Order: sequence, then C-alpha cells, then structure tokens
Amino acid sequence: MTSSEIKSGALVSLQDLHPSSSYFKQGASLRVTGKLQEYSVETAIATIIDGSDSFKINTQHLRELSFRVGSVYQFIGELLIQPDNEAVLQARVGRNVDGIDLNLYYQSLQLLRQFQAHHLKNPAT
Amino acid sequence: MDHSLYNTHVKLLAFDLLTLSQTSSPSSSSDPVSFSRNGALLSRAETVGTVTSRDLKPNKFLRFTIDDGTGCVNCILWLNQLSSPYFSRRNPADVRLIAQTAQHFAAEIKLGVVARVRGKITSYRGVTQITALDVVVERDPNVEILHWLDCMRLARKVYNVVPPYK
Repeated sequence: MTSSEIKSGALVSLQDLHPSSSYFKQGASLRVTGKLQEYSVETAIATIIDGSDSFKINTQHLRELSFRVGSVYQFIGELLIQPDNEAVLQARVGRNVDGIDLNLYYQSLQLLRQFQAHHLKNPAT
Repeated sequence: MDHSLYNTHVKLLAFDLLTLSQTSSPSSSSDPVSFSRNGALLSRAETVGTVTSRDLKPNKFLRFTIDDGTGCVNCILWLNQLSSPYFSRRNPADVRLIAQTAQHFAAEIKLGVVARVRGKITSYRGVTQITALDVVVERDPNVEILHWLDCMRLARKVYNVVPPYK
C-alpha cells in the first residue's frame, strides 16, 4: 500500500450527510465529528450525534481508541451506503476531540470551502 | 523570481501545497526541482493534520501521510543518519543527536494523531511532499482549525500579494 492511494477525508458536518447531498456517495472519503451517543462492543458500531443529526460509525479497525459516551470524536473513513439507504462510515482513524469548539469548527469550515472554491477558480501558481 | 519567502516555512493547505509549480533545474543534480507559488520561490513548508498512513523502514525512513481535510500531504522522515555517507563527515556526536531526534519523531507519529510537520518541500515521482525536519504531535483539538485560519489569512495577506519587481 502506498500513501498516494490514501484519499483525503472531506470535512463534513452530520447535517451534510443526507441522501441528496453531494457528499452522500458510495465509497466517499469523509471526516465527521460528533458526540458519542452509543457504542456497542459486540458490533463495534458507534453512533455519534450533532444537534438533531446522528450517524453510525464502524470502528472495528480502531482497536486503540477508548470510547466514552458523551465525549466528542472525529473519524476519517469511507462511506458505505447499505441497500436500505442507511449509511455507515467505515472508519480508518479516529480520535477523541473533547474540548473542540464546534461552532468555530463549522464556521471555519464554511470559510475554508469558500477559500478553496475561490482558489480553484483563480490558481495562485 | 521573488526570494522573500524562500527561507520561511510557508503555511499552506494541502490542496495548495500539492499544486505548487515545479521547475527542473538540470544544472544541479543534487537539488533537481525548485518550487514556486504565485511567482515566489519556496523551499520550506508547514502542515498540520491527521496522520492517516505510516510506513516504517527501520533505520532507513518513515513515510507518512498528513490529511488536513483539503488533501493528503506525503511526508518522509529520514532515519538513516547513522549509516548514510552524507553524514559521515559530520561530528559523530551531532549525528547521533540528529538520529535520536528523528527516532523520537518517528515514535510520536501514530495513526490518528494530529501532527504539525515542518520541513523541506521536495518531490517524489513528480508529487510534492515534505521532507520532515521537525514534528510536533498536537493535543489541543482546536489547533487544526487555527491552522486553517492561519493558512487562509497568510495566503490572502502575504503569499498572494505579488511584490513589486526590483
């Protein structure tokens, strides 16, 4: 496996992950952030929430991470859309981000998207 | 070409770093490619993001990937100081210290941590990468956000400003 094959996880909010969103694609690489609501040791499925939105994460590859309900986590992985249109993120990496300022995070994310769109239209090089 | 940013560790988002202009200079075989952005020659960069891959060749090198949310930057950390002829003419005590520091950085870089990497901008198989000289594992979950804001401010106020021709 060479590192050039690794795709960047697009920064998204849980709100962005509805079936009509441009991010909601089979195999899309995403980075999601939310508070842990539920975690099953048997299935390694974690449910994170942000406001009224929730999302399932398959954490079977994250053996070193300890899960605490109520803590905030960030995961990078690939989206698996099941036949019933329910989506699960197959996490490659994850970390505890307790103390993150989520308002600042989402505001900065908007700025970042605008900056990147502007830059791609007007390349600096 | 403008040299005012040449010795600065420019803070660039991954998508920006990966689209730098590469110019081959056939006269110098040891440093075959130079990098520029908006007419400014660059040699060093700083990136902050999540470590999403790590490939260790003990006593040779550690290759790893930093994902900052806008792209993935490949980084290489050399670990061959004690065997490389490049270091053989230098003071052995200094070389041991450099090797120990590199080993320490390599141990810190684990999958999923957020790392700040500073180093030389280099190229491997045509892809821009960073040859790491300094690694810090960040524990504050807000540093990545501050890095994005820093990158955007610096691009607008400094890096995108074309200096007057001298």
